[in-house]
Amino acid sequence: MSTESNNSAADRLPPRERREALAFLLPVALFLGGLVLVPVLGTLLDSLHRDVTFLPRSFIGLENYRALSADPAFWASVRFTLVFVLVSVPLQVVLGLLIALVLNEGFAGRALLRACVLIPWAVPAAVSGRVFELIYNYSYGAANWLIQLVHPGAGPVNWLGTELGALAAVVVADTYKTTPFAALLLLAGLSAIPEDLYGQARIDRATFLQRFFRITLPLLKPVLVVTLIFRTIDALRVFDVIFVLTGGGPGGATSALSIYGFRYYAAGDFGYASAVSVILFFISLTLVVGYASLGGFGREAR
Amino acid sequence: MKKLLFTLLLAALFLAGCDRQERAGLVFSVGGAPAELAAWQDLVDEFRQVSGIEVELLRQPAETGQQRQGLILALKAELPTPDVFLMDVGWIGLFAASGWLEPLGDFDRSPFFEEVVERVDVHEGELIALPVYMDGGLLYYRRDLLALAGRDAPPETWKELLEDAVSLLPAMRAENPNFYGFVWQGAQYEGLITSFLEFAGSEGGFVLRDGRILLDVPANRAALRLMRDLIRNRVSPPSVYTEMREEEVRLFFQRGDALFARNWPYAWRLHQQPDSPIARRIGIAAPPGPTAEERVSTLGGWHIGVSRFSQRKEEAMEFVRFVTSREAQRRMVLALGWNPGRRDLYDDPRVLEEMPNLAELKEVFEKARARPAIPYYPQVSEIAQRHLNAALAGRVTPEMALQQAEEEIAALMARYGM
Amino acid sequence: MSEERVQRILLYCGVTGAVLFCLAPFGYMVLTGLSLRPDFLRPEIPLTLTALNFGTVLTDPSLHFLAYLRNSLVVSAVSATVAVLVASLAAYALTRLEAPGKLLILFFILGVSLFPQVSLVSWLYKFMATLGWINTLQALVLPYVAWTLPLAVWILYSYFTQIPRDLDRAALVDGCTRLQVLFRVVLPVAAPGVFSTFLLAFIFAFNEFLFALMLTADYTARTVPVGIALFEGRHGELPWGEIMAAATVATLPVVLLTLVYQRRIVQGLTRGAVKG
Repeated sequence: MSTESNNSAADRLPPRERREALAFLLPVALFLGGLVLVPVLGTLLDSLHRDVTFLPRSFIGLENYRALSADPAFWASVRFTLVFVLVSVPLQVVLGLLIALVLNEGFAGRALLRACVLIPWAVPAAVSGRVFELIYNYSYGAANWLIQLVHPGAGPVNWLGTELGALAAVVVADTYKTTPFAALLLLAGLSAIPEDLYGQARIDRATFLQRFFRITLPLLKPVLVVTLIFRTIDALRVFDVIFVLTGGGPGGATSALSIYGFRYYAAGDFGYASAVSVILFFISLTLVVGYASLGGFGREAR
Repeated sequence: MKKLLFTLLLAALFLAGCDRQERAGLVFSVGGAPAELAAWQDLVDEFRQVSGIEVELLRQPAETGQQRQGLILALKAELPTPDVFLMDVGWIGLFAASGWLEPLGDFDRSPFFEEVVERVDVHEGELIALPVYMDGGLLYYRRDLLALAGRDAPPETWKELLEDAVSLLPAMRAENPNFYGFVWQGAQYEGLITSFLEFAGSEGGFVLRDGRILLDVPANRAALRLMRDLIRNRVSPPSVYTEMREEEVRLFFQRGDALFARNWPYAWRLHQQPDSPIARRIGIAAPPGPTAEERVSTLGGWHIGVSRFSQRKEEAMEFVRFVTSREAQRRMVLALGWNPGRRDLYDDPRVLEEMPNLAELKEVFEKARARPAIPYYPQVSEIAQRHLNAALAGRVTPEMALQQAEEEIAALMARYGM
Repeated sequence: MSEERVQRILLYCGVTGAVLFCLAPFGYMVLTGLSLRPDFLRPEIPLTLTALNFGTVLTDPSLHFLAYLRNSLVVSAVSATVAVLVASLAAYALTRLEAPGKLLILFFILGVSLFPQVSLVSWLYKFMATLGWINTLQALVLPYVAWTLPLAVWILYSYFTQIPRDLDRAALVDGCTRLQVLFRVVLPVAAPGVFSTFLLAFIFAFNEFLFALMLTADYTARTVPVGIALFEGRHGELPWGEIMAAATVATLPVVLLTLVYQRRIVQGLTRGAVKG
């Protein structure tokens, strides 16, 4: 980001302009304040209440949080959510980096590849989730067909039937949808690296891997961190893919926090669901602050 | 600038135009159980001719959980529509306790299954719903194959069912490697509870004692072990606990890939369609039990109620009266092979002519087992579903699953001050 | 030299792999939509092609599929338009008016996208219920605008900073108001960026699921992702063929948009995210 003018300009701004600036910012403030901040604060407030459709609403302090901390299903959801982030985000970033590296090369069919990569990103996750649901179908899905094609005689696999299988299935479906996004961010970072740096390396007879680790990776670090942040935030609140694909099963094995909270909303228990949402938010916040300090942000990247 | 204004104007128009369209008449929300919609449409058309009241059918997802969620959203927001809706027996308690159901006033309850009405449809002395049709879990079996094994009667206990399946499976699998003994609802959803209650029999299920809901009782342990072993020993396909809901069970059985299936009465008509490979080769019976005396069928079924937020309550009441009338019920029975909510149709000669098995079903329904009519039943069910399904997946032992579910339910009740 | 060659081979393997992975599920979807039976992959079942599923999805009124599609298109188009307008006002103020605490505002706006949707949904629901807007299109448009604003502001901000300020100074000297400068000078010059932003906001809105699931109850406002997730066949069975036909039709608009405007989308995405 370029701060292209001197900061003292603000001080010299005539009051009329100042008012104008505020007027221009007002709509954004209204939208974000009214439709994001107020709801978040409201949810915080709700989480301190017993708010169930069939009981009178009452303030109960931290009771919902205490109940959550004693709820094994909640902890299982926390664990699953974190495992999901830890597995899917690195996978997506690495795959995305590979795709970005390929896209950054000049070769025939580059535009075609870019278009193909964009398609999974543009398709709603609920839709691709249903396609994967069919792919994993036990009796006639494509995954079992493929298994039997490669290895005739192998029995069909119940893909969504084990904890590990369901996790893998969800990760694959989510990776399908989100890798393109990571790839594009990284591609932008790659294309910003000056070509002559590589020219010099070539003269020095550096191998491809040397060039990658000595030039590309260090220069890509800020973008890499941004990508990680974006992907982590998104993976933490994963909902659509799981809702469609496993509904949280088998036996609650893939019940991400969003799903877990949503189930209580859907059953009419708004207080408890709000407490889950608040905790999810604080997990996001912690991770992002962690990343940001890791990436040395705050000192205005680039 | 002009362009912008134009766009803004367009946007405003869009928003104004999309404002809630005034609905022409009553809005009636129904689930998408098979072939239901066309029959409802006919009924609604007739109602218009009789009463002059328009009714719009609002189609809902067939899965009960998703349907409940949609209705809860509308009712908690106090929307005026839908005016009338069908409710699964499982959620009437929640809807009633939340104050969302308009009392139906004076209704002659005698033609209905009175025990069911008393237990499910009365809240604080007021009638708030009426059964439109009854459901009870049934065992579907392949008559032709059982005869092959020299059996002329369907099994009455789970042990017999297992024996029948084990004796027939090798021969059947030699022809059809995809053949299984028994398919039932085992996915993580409400249907799992309904089949579990039947596996557990009259001694198990949600045992209410001293204000607690007990699950970790011997009958339940045996039931859950049996359910898990059916999958483990490949008598039931592994997809039972991942994919099997009503329709998946029906399709599996209808393909000819199973000897027994647990399903609701609706499947009968569909199985008997001319293009079905198993048409005329099947029979139905009450579900087996741990012993022949402990057999139970889980009470299902859909009840009709009127929203407290409806602005057309009078018309809605008239519609309820029409739908639960003997004539309308008979038409639905004949059109859909339904089991009417009115008891007096089970002796109706014309109905019996079409559906000779109705007499037998009447007995099943009279003894059918209701799920607890508590307002937080949906949450209790969610907890139980999760743990039962985990046991089926082999993630925990049946004992652990039941224990944990019981503890979580106790914590939930404590949280609600129950 | 050999390294070059290995690299080429690896490159093309990677490309083929990526293209296959991206397109295969898509192809399976289309094929299932066109197939008479969804279990055509089983060896004993022949693949019979038919347009039946597409016909049903497009014509059966009880499936309401066209209503879902219309809702999705209207909601996405309106919310993307509003988001672009609101964001361009903000981006203009932030680049031209030296609003006090500019950086803070920018990071605050970005920080907003941190919140999980599930933590907003119950109060959005309460708002809309109070307004009597549950199950209306505006109940979706408003949150979608808020939801896409952070990205839109960031993209437009980066475009606007690159427009020479002499341009708008000249217009101001000519007696234009700030608003006129924005709409007559800045926006036209930044048109490609504005368009990219619109496309991205459109696609984000088109794909959103949780808000649509919680704030709509039936086809009067339900959008395509929810419609497909809860899709029921005409007779209540599990109609894979119809689901996949519907999915194919539903994704057509966004797929076409991405194919035609892929450069714009890529530019927009990379600006918004990386310039931070």
